[in-house]
Amino acid sequence: MRTLPVALLFAAVLSAQQVAAPTPEAVGSSRGENLDGYNIVNSFETGYRFHMVSGNLERYRSDVNFGNGIRLLSSNLWINSREGHGLLFDELLLTTQGLGNDPYQMAKLRIGKNKLYQYDLVWRLSDYYNPGLIGGIGQHFQDTQRTMQDHDLTLLPRSKIRFFLGYSRNRQDGPALTTIQAFDDRGDEFPLFSNVRRVYNEYRVGGEARVAGFRINITRTWENFREDTTDSLAFTGLGNNITDNTLLTQFSRSQPYHGNTPSWRLGLFRESNRWFAFNGKLSYAEGQRDFVVDEFAVGQDRFANPNSRQILSTGTGRRPVTVANATISIFPSSTLTVTNQTSFNRIRMEGNSQFQEFDFATQADNVANFQYLGLQAITNSTDLNYRPRKWIGLFGGYHYTNRKVASIEQFAVTGFSQNTFYEQESTLHSGSGGIRISPIKPLTIIADGEIGRADRPFYTTSERNYHALGGRVQYKRGSLLLSAQSKTSYNTNSISLSFHTARSRSNSVDASWTLRSWLSFDASYAKIHLDTLTAIAYYLNRSLVSGDRSLYISNIHTGTAGVRFDFRKRADLYLGFTRVQDVGDGRAILTDANAGATGVQPFLAAAQVYPLSFDSPLARLSVPLREKLRFNVGYQRYRYQEAWLPTQNYGAGTGYASLLWSF
Amino acid sequence: MTACLAAMLFCRAMAGQGVPSGNGFVGSTVCKACHPDVSLNFYKNPHYRSVAAADQPPEKTGCESCHGPGKQHVEARGGKATIVAFSQLGAKEVLDNCLRCHANTMSRANIRRSEHTSNDVVCNQCHSIHKPSSPKFLLARKQTELCESCHAPVRAQFNMPVKHRVHEGFMNCTDCHNPHGTNSPTWRMGVRPRLVGQSADGEEPCLRCHQDKRGPFAFEHPAVRVDGCESCHAPHGSTNARLLKRPVVFTLCLECHNGAGNFGRQGDGIVTQNASHNMADPRYRSCTTCHVRIHGSNASAQFLR
Repeated sequence: MRTLPVALLFAAVLSAQQVAAPTPEAVGSSRGENLDGYNIVNSFETGYRFHMVSGNLERYRSDVNFGNGIRLLSSNLWINSREGHGLLFDELLLTTQGLGNDPYQMAKLRIGKNKLYQYDLVWRLSDYYNPGLIGGIGQHFQDTQRTMQDHDLTLLPRSKIRFFLGYSRNRQDGPALTTIQAFDDRGDEFPLFSNVRRVYNEYRVGGEARVAGFRINITRTWENFREDTTDSLAFTGLGNNITDNTLLTQFSRSQPYHGNTPSWRLGLFRESNRWFAFNGKLSYAEGQRDFVVDEFAVGQDRFANPNSRQILSTGTGRRPVTVANATISIFPSSTLTVTNQTSFNRIRMEGNSQFQEFDFATQADNVANFQYLGLQAITNSTDLNYRPRKWIGLFGGYHYTNRKVASIEQFAVTGFSQNTFYEQESTLHSGSGGIRISPIKPLTIIADGEIGRADRPFYTTSERNYHALGGRVQYKRGSLLLSAQSKTSYNTNSISLSFHTARSRSNSVDASWTLRSWLSFDASYAKIHLDTLTAIAYYLNRSLVSGDRSLYISNIHTGTAGVRFDFRKRADLYLGFTRVQDVGDGRAILTDANAGATGVQPFLAAAQVYPLSFDSPLARLSVPLREKLRFNVGYQRYRYQEAWLPTQNYGAGTGYASLLWSF
Repeated sequence: MTACLAAMLFCRAMAGQGVPSGNGFVGSTVCKACHPDVSLNFYKNPHYRSVAAADQPPEKTGCESCHGPGKQHVEARGGKATIVAFSQLGAKEVLDNCLRCHANTMSRANIRRSEHTSNDVVCNQCHSIHKPSSPKFLLARKQTELCESCHAPVRAQFNMPVKHRVHEGFMNCTDCHNPHGTNSPTWRMGVRPRLVGQSADGEEPCLRCHQDKRGPFAFEHPAVRVDGCESCHAPHGSTNARLLKRPVVFTLCLECHNGAGNFGRQGDGIVTQNASHNMADPRYRSCTTCHVRIHGSNASAQFLR
């Protein structure tokens, strides 16, 4: 009887609330109301949210984005048939959040009738705002809205033969800003308006049957993607660099990009508790996209000569993807599990296209063709899990991967000078192991590690000689939970004079405690460290500089704290605080590391650390007015401060007042 | 005391009624007498479907489908030693019990080798059958809180200014991860990253939402396929714009495009920038201002459009 309220209380207590609303407190009877053979549990929170921003509004919209207005902050509706024999359904679960006005809206529905059907819906909407950040990605800006929905229907869910139908849709629309460079690789850049229009639809049909002790699952999927984004010139005239003579007076571009990806998936399962379990999966997808790019530009080049250019690219890209996995688990004894998995995947990007660039001024015609890229990997991994005693367990594994990356620069152009086949092959051996101990029941200690060696990674930043170590200690007794963990991951990727090393470490401690039924605490601290040292090469005044290195250091301290009071059932108060601070390498002033620097080092020094802080205190008060009605108010403050680039700083307050009610 | 005695007598009486002989099953009705707190709301539990359907053998129906035959438990007047009590089971036993019914789905195909299982994080660490916070998936707590109770550094990343909207409720951890274990990733080598879910065709989960980055493109940026999106992005959260791993773009690009020998598909390094790019000029330190289609292009091998 008391289980659900206790569970809800537990959930509310142990979480450091990250956003003030919706209110997590429960309202009404957790047992619900009985009506015509059904039981109904429900709650709805309706309120007004507001925001006030000082400083960089665009940055606020990128990070937080809560606005003003009335909205359905949250709702829960659970209807269950009491005997499991409802007329149309036996279970209906509806959960929503932020409907009406929030930038992040969500609705989830499950409805089902025992033995007959089960339907699941997830619907989401996100207002995605991304400013053209200084020092980031320049002029790329987006103010788009993305809606996503997934529908899944299972027919005869408890039968030996089941059927599946599914549909997913993902749509992104809205204005954006991008850039174009004209008329050569040293020409100026110009801002473009983009009208983003992307739609993705997926249809699924499948079935599952039990045959000879195996369960076989077959799914057929059709995906369709359409992008019809168009770009136009934001303004005519000079571009970003005022000393550059390049001029654009006309520009238009359309690049429809449509295609389908039909795929097959086959699954095979057999689970046996006595000796073994087996499952396998095979999928094949035949991705195809048809595209046209038509771009037309008129203006003058960087030498102030009139110029016009037309880009035409048409073709079809194909990407067949084959993925196969087979996993077998063997149980030699009740204390030992051995699992082996073999995976194979093969991805090929191929097709035909022709890129033509007409320079009307010089009548030059530049032609390029499809760039083939193929990947094939075979992975075999064996993992053991051994528990000789109840208080101790050991686990470990060995993993092997062989991967080939093949390419042809000018694919499908027979006899072309660059039509050369290249193939890179790399093999990775890695081993992992760990121990878990529970000397007394509330205490758990886990230590693990992994070491890997790849003989020829693709990138300088890929994993080559790496090892990772981790440890975790947890003490849980009643409502008291204490835990601490540490993880390190080092990677060294050295070839002759060029090299890359990356070292990441994270250490954290957590504590939560329900001291009394009316008082609970939650706090955590984490330090996340990353430093990478990588060789870089670049040009300075047409001279290659190849002995330079990029050093990036990030030292992020984060902390959360929360406390919850219940004032004799008359009011619930939650106070929380979150802080993120990147102290970089400890430099207080940007120029400290620039003394005596040459080449691009002054600019690298500015990019190697990025100290900032982001604070977010919040308070929320929830007052039960009646058994089925609560009044809630909350306020959350955001403060974003960069040490070296104050133009993006902001302070913001978001608040809300709401009624949480149940009928 | 009287109530307990009455309940026990009721149990014993019920145990003798309609019990399949020899197998020790007593039926869920008997359990109600001593466990009313569990049974009263059990009709809201997905496991109740076996009771409502009444088409399964006793070992797959109601309480005894998980807790085993209850006759001995009833006769002993309770006790955790006389029944399958999950609080007393080891991790493997818990897993074995649940997988008797829940093994046969793609999403749980790798549970035996998952990182969670290795660390003894099995079903009842996250799922609460009798005290769920939500009836869907029977999670013990809200999913984000559940995951972050162990993964504190991830919680810290989602508190950063640039992040996927998990704390805001727009996304869940399971949108990208499969806590029950995954197949080896197709976008990297080895078995890392672990527990990262895959799209239906085995691709990186990012592409489920960011389909415009998926391709196929006439000119692919191999990094996306060879080392995955996390070559450049920190997926949980970052202090850098666009979830990038560096505060500015040019260091990110130059760290791979450095011409270092033996790397790349031709074994002679990832191509360096063009000699016309003078890094002393600030315009060349914002690579994606020109290379706008950095995830892949149909009209430019240099991703210019």
